[in-house]
Amino acid sequence: MANQRIPGRGSGSTETMMIRRTLVLMAVCGIVAFLLLGIRLFKLQIIDHDKYEAAAVDQQLRETTVTSQRGTIYDRNMNILAMSASVSNIYLSPAEIAKYGEDPVAISKALADILDMDYDTIYEKTKNTSSWYVTVARKVDDDITEQVRAFKEAGYQVYDEKGNPVYDGDGNPVIRSYMGVRIEEASKRFYPYSSLASHVIGFVGSDDHGLAGIEYCYDDVLSGVDGRIVRATTANGTDMLFTDFEDYYDAQDGQSLVLTVDENVQYYLEKHLQEAVTSYDLQNGAAGIVMDVNTGAILAMASLGNFDLNDYTAVSEETLALAEEAETEEEAEAIIAAAREEMWRNKALTETYEPGSTFKIITLAMGLECGAINMNTSFYCGGSMEVVGRDTPLNCWNTSGHGSETLTQAVMNSCNVAFVNIGMKVGAERFYEYARAFGLFEKTGVDLMGESGSLWWSEEVFFNPLSQSQLAAASFGQTFTITPLQLITAVSAAVNGGYLMEPYIVSRFLDSDGTVVQQREPTAVRQVVSEETSRNVCEILEKVVGDPAGTGTNAYVAGYRIGGKTGTSEKVAYEATTGQKQYIVSFIGIAPMDDPQVAVLVLLDNPGENASTYVSGGQMAAPTVGSIMADILPVLGVEPVYTGDEASLVDRTVPRLIGRSLEDAEAAVEALGFTYRVTGDGDTVTAQLPRSGASIAAGSEVALFCGVEPEETTIEMLDLIGLSYEVARIRMGWEGLYISGEGAILGGGALITRQSVDAGEEIEVGSVVTVSVSDSSNLGRY
Amino acid sequence: MASDNSDNKGAIRYSGDRLADYTGLGAGRGPVDVPFMMLALLLLTIGLVMVLSSSYARAYYDLEGQTKGNPTYYFVKQLGFAVGGVIVMLICSRLPVKFYRRFSPLVLIFAVLLLLLVFLIGRIANGAQRWLIIGGITIQPSEIAKIGVIMFFADWICRVKGDLKNFRRGILPLGAVLLVVCGLIATEPHWSAIMIIVFLALVMLFVGGLPLGWFIGGGAAVGSVLLIAYTFFEYVRNRVSAWFDPFADATNSGWQVVQSLYAIGSGGLFGLGLGNSRQKYLYLPEEHNDYIFSIVCEELGFIGAVLILALFSLLIIRGYWLAMHARGRYGRLVCVGITTLFAVQVILNVAVCTNTMPSTGISLPLFSYGGTALLLQMAEIGMILAISRTIPEKK
Repeated sequence: MANQRIPGRGSGSTETMMIRRTLVLMAVCGIVAFLLLGIRLFKLQIIDHDKYEAAAVDQQLRETTVTSQRGTIYDRNMNILAMSASVSNIYLSPAEIAKYGEDPVAISKALADILDMDYDTIYEKTKNTSSWYVTVARKVDDDITEQVRAFKEAGYQVYDEKGNPVYDGDGNPVIRSYMGVRIEEASKRFYPYSSLASHVIGFVGSDDHGLAGIEYCYDDVLSGVDGRIVRATTANGTDMLFTDFEDYYDAQDGQSLVLTVDENVQYYLEKHLQEAVTSYDLQNGAAGIVMDVNTGAILAMASLGNFDLNDYTAVSEETLALAEEAETEEEAEAIIAAAREEMWRNKALTETYEPGSTFKIITLAMGLECGAINMNTSFYCGGSMEVVGRDTPLNCWNTSGHGSETLTQAVMNSCNVAFVNIGMKVGAERFYEYARAFGLFEKTGVDLMGESGSLWWSEEVFFNPLSQSQLAAASFGQTFTITPLQLITAVSAAVNGGYLMEPYIVSRFLDSDGTVVQQREPTAVRQVVSEETSRNVCEILEKVVGDPAGTGTNAYVAGYRIGGKTGTSEKVAYEATTGQKQYIVSFIGIAPMDDPQVAVLVLLDNPGENASTYVSGGQMAAPTVGSIMADILPVLGVEPVYTGDEASLVDRTVPRLIGRSLEDAEAAVEALGFTYRVTGDGDTVTAQLPRSGASIAAGSEVALFCGVEPEETTIEMLDLIGLSYEVARIRMGWEGLYISGEGAILGGGALITRQSVDAGEEIEVGSVVTVSVSDSSNLGRY
Repeated sequence: MASDNSDNKGAIRYSGDRLADYTGLGAGRGPVDVPFMMLALLLLTIGLVMVLSSSYARAYYDLEGQTKGNPTYYFVKQLGFAVGGVIVMLICSRLPVKFYRRFSPLVLIFAVLLLLLVFLIGRIANGAQRWLIIGGITIQPSEIAKIGVIMFFADWICRVKGDLKNFRRGILPLGAVLLVVCGLIATEPHWSAIMIIVFLALVMLFVGGLPLGWFIGGGAAVGSVLLIAYTFFEYVRNRVSAWFDPFADATNSGWQVVQSLYAIGSGGLFGLGLGNSRQKYLYLPEEHNDYIFSIVCEELGFIGAVLILALFSLLIIRGYWLAMHARGRYGRLVCVGITTLFAVQVILNVAVCTNTMPSTGISLPLFSYGGTALLLQMAEIGMILAISRTIPEKK
């Protein structure tokens, strides 16, 4: 290089210095700095890669939820109790209305028209131009949604700034759809039977998740898993160009549930409970459970008053009136909230009560099982007895005493003294041991929400040898509280051969194709009593209803072997605080007694002043259970078997006679045990009274018309209350009317207590009036 | 282009007419340095591709603005300037070094005049007056000031020969010039330009032969300037605090840095692939400008980013190599100055993108979108090529 140096341009040492210093710069700026940057990049891109990538992806991806279809709830016969219908939410994006210069007036007018809403309300919403989401209508049905979609798609013609229409390349006017009108999918829960089994089924909130009942308990199963669409979007929220990055996560529909509940059984249970609420003037409603005694499956469960699942927040007009009178808004809200709480409460599951005499079934079973008593044990009731630890003698409900009685008679009489004796013989320790074995110390474990637990005396108190008053009272079902469900489960164990079953309400889980995913098998918790004991209990319980001297005769249904036990319990706690007496009257019925299938427990809470009959389980709850049994046993496939006596008395169904020859019709009517009357001189029946399919008392006179039309006349309804069924049939027959009976129509001293058409009302000749018959010969709080 | 130089190997020709001397056209000289030119053109090409990729989304979504939704808007403009830049480079590479030297003071004066213009009528952008719009062309006078300072310093150092230590002849006039330039830029303010210019001046003095002892004093001076800037200007403080913890205010002052880190970090080893950046979808501001390197990192990954840095490194090493081998102190100094200018711009830009230093408006040479800046850079490359022609061809 030296020979190439330019003459006169600096000395050699300056040259070297410059080259050296440039070399330093080259090293620093050309190599070292770049190495440092490379290290820095390594740190960011390799070491911290995951962290930054996650953060970047997090901001770049937008998720859209795809709602999964909520499962259906079926009854045991696959009738739909709850289903989801797809609906839409209509919302506006005022920001986009403003952005694209869409006409808020046109939008508001159209939507107001389609959705049947107020124009001003919608127009107000379009003004909120900073928002991208303003709801206009929720859960809109498909046909309405289609109209909204049509409006949105039809769009509007685009004009330029000068107000001239804009045309595209082909000379067609440019039409743009409304970006500001948005539709999103949603789903709506629908309950075809409205209020039926409302407490069991429960309901969902606006987020489509269960808030009560099965809907709540099985929410996870029913709701499924929502799907997602993940898209890469720009910072402004629009889709990225060219990026096919779009991930779908399919929505997994919820499973459907098949309940053990039978819609028919549920219907009859609610129907008769509702009748009881009306005719016994029940102040606190009623509850009832129908259980398959062999499996623990709940066939029906009701708590009155019911509410409409499709409008579950609606309260009664009385409540609204009450809320109206409230002084402050908070008070009014509190009144309504309290009313809803009350309305939504499933009494059969959540309310504990003193079971009273119905519990004697359990005392009886434990007495027989542990050998404290046997079928030949006899008792003496003098109307009262001394109990260790009690200051006053303990009275039987019949203070004049039942005298000497066998075990069966003691149960038929519901004799408190006899049962205190049984309890004493069993002893406090064994009593608790059995009560525990019958599942009365723990929750039943039913798959429903809000089950309450029982409340018993502590062992310290109960086992005290110096005071047997707790044991004595417990022997006939007082001084402890359990739930109705615990009682019916325990009683089922006493009659089904001794097995305590775990009650359940969901029998099968179906996937969205209807394939059974899981099947619930009945679960036996333990055997509490022997089959023999169980048989003996059944034998005795049948007498309570079947024997005319029993306290449960009002539950009798012709053709069926029904057993059961009455109960009338005083609300002791309520009396202690208010000094007033309130009763829960109840009855637990079992049928058929030769092979128990079904148990029905009915609780009628606090009959009021206007009750049509004497307040007791035998007078109120027993006939209700009888009516329920009469309706549900055929549904459950239990065929009636009539004894000779019954056959001539029981109600019959009138066949269709129109079109048949007179001779033929006469024979058919006679064969059913009816008499007949012929009007007209034709050979063929042209009209009949009553209509075919009506159920009327045997021995009634059927009117046959041959060639003439029956006169359409009305007469005043007779007063049948207090008459026997037989007499009522004959009196009604004189007027050309018919009766159909409910309750103990075969009972010796049974009298009519209710009639479906009130006396004095106008009624058409040939009509059928339903009457309730009840045996009131044996009144008492049993 | 070097074919007609075959008979002039080994020496600069001083004969010939003046025009040829000044324009270099037809003047017999050594060949331009092919490696340096190819590196520059390669980087320019890659830079163009990256401008297309990074600006695509922004141009597409900007329906109301200047692009009217045309996704290749920025690319086409940049392409035009690149073609013009190559022509400018070729012309500049043909001009003799003497010509540049003669015009050195004029370039500086021109730059100072432009700075004064900015001071008077400059357009307000990003809270600072840095731009001049003349006939639709946006010019950043501080860019011209950089090359002006390089050329003036090189010329002056040659004039005083080794006598830089002489206060009156050496430091005083140079310091005064520096003070005027920096003072004018400080009114904009444009701190990164001041930093770069001061650094360039120091490098020129360093290579020009100023004794090392002076640099200790100079270092102290720079330190105190930075301290003053930090203390008195909220704008500087915001930048610095955003640097230390960009995530503390990720939606506001830290936004750019955070988005840049997301882009770089999510690139990983191999990147998302050319054109597949997601951060360019309006997340990362200035994505085809100051932060274009972040998109490079995201799309081409660690490997691609390091390769491009390596190309820059080679360009700079070659630049210094040319400075070491060039004939003539002036050419040498200018070559060092321009190479250092490129080096500092690249290093600082990447350092900002990777949040290694506080964010300042430094573009990436040959990559960042910006027509006049690119033209200037190509002219500077041309100057280095012109200087490279003073190196005798090896036999």
